Amino acid sequence: MLIPRRVKHRKQHRPDRSGAAKGGTRVVFGEFGIQALEHSYVTNRQIESARIAMTRHIRRGGKVWINIYPDRPLTKKPAETRMGSGKGSPEWWIANVKPGRVMFELSGVAEPIAREAMRRAMHKLPMKCRFVKREVGEA
Amino acid sequence: MSEVKIASELRDQFGKGAARKIRRANQVPVVLYGHGTEPRHLTMPGHDLLLALRTPNVLIRIEGAVNELALPKGVQRDPIKGFLEHVDLILVRRGEKVTIEMPVTVSGDVVNGAILDQQLVQISVEAEATSLPTGVEIDVDGKDVGFTVTAGDLDLPKGTTLAVEPDTLVLHVIAAPTADLPEEGEAAAEAPAAEAGDEAAEGEPAAAAE
Repeated sequence: MLIPRRVKHRKQHRPDRSGAAKGGTRVVFGEFGIQALEHSYVTNRQIESARIAMTRHIRRGGKVWINIYPDRPLTKKPAETRMGSGKGSPEWWIANVKPGRVMFELSGVAEPIAREAMRRAMHKLPMKCRFVKREVGEA
Repeated sequence: MSEVKIASELRDQFGKGAARKIRRANQVPVVLYGHGTEPRHLTMPGHDLLLALRTPNVLIRIEGAVNELALPKGVQRDPIKGFLEHVDLILVRRGEKVTIEMPVTVSGDVVNGAILDQQLVQISVEAEATSLPTGVEIDVDGKDVGFTVTAGDLDLPKGTTLAVEPDTLVLHVIAAPTADLPEEGEAAAEAPAAEAGDEAAEGEPAAAAE
């Protein structure tokens, strides 16, 4: 599972959920991709789960790229705790994904297989997504 | 390659407010520059420009406010809806050599048990502005592991020269990696290991702060 090796600050504020992705909005490494259509925090478990769903469907052949990284910690206070006494402990590692971001890419398989693999992966992700293909020759 | 004629109008209002007003009228804000000239700000019909830009490296003949030949230099699109937000055009002249990114397409399927690893989907080439190549195709049908194509191996159209080193790797065929399918027992053992990883990651920043 993806976890940062070391971080500068153990507890951070929750990332900004507004706006659209500024970069990483096109398929550049592979032939097909999964593009986010909504904001969401994607945990490292969801990323891993989506990757496994994809690789299990394509079985042999194909190459998968993961374009997001869960580098932001989210904290949580324990249940039935009174307010105060400091920030809770880090509970999840998340990637802050904004609409338009291409999160996964895939190449080396036929389109029907890629579509089905990515459909299965999308079910593991917390937001609306769509299947996208690489556009040829755009400036 | 044929030219696409698109009408244009000069624009004298700038900024996001003016740009949004232009987009609401189904037009696209465009900037035209090159050859040391001052940048000229134009508007163009959105649908015509969108259709023209479907062809890679399309040569655009701008009519109306200015009469020039231009190539698309930068295209900004809405990441979700895909409509054009802004286009940069660069001036070209007849007979001038320009460097462009030419699409590399692949046909055929490699043998079973191998996958195609395409390193370059576009390649930099130099060509005459008025006869730009639309792309180059590589046939990989039945190719086995070890098959390699470098930039020097490409069969470029007449009048086109490479703008990259000839030994730049374009694609190669590699052995397909097997999917990682953990056994049932292995999958069960995976969860506690991940928890331990979480704790280690949480403990580490504290250690780093000391």
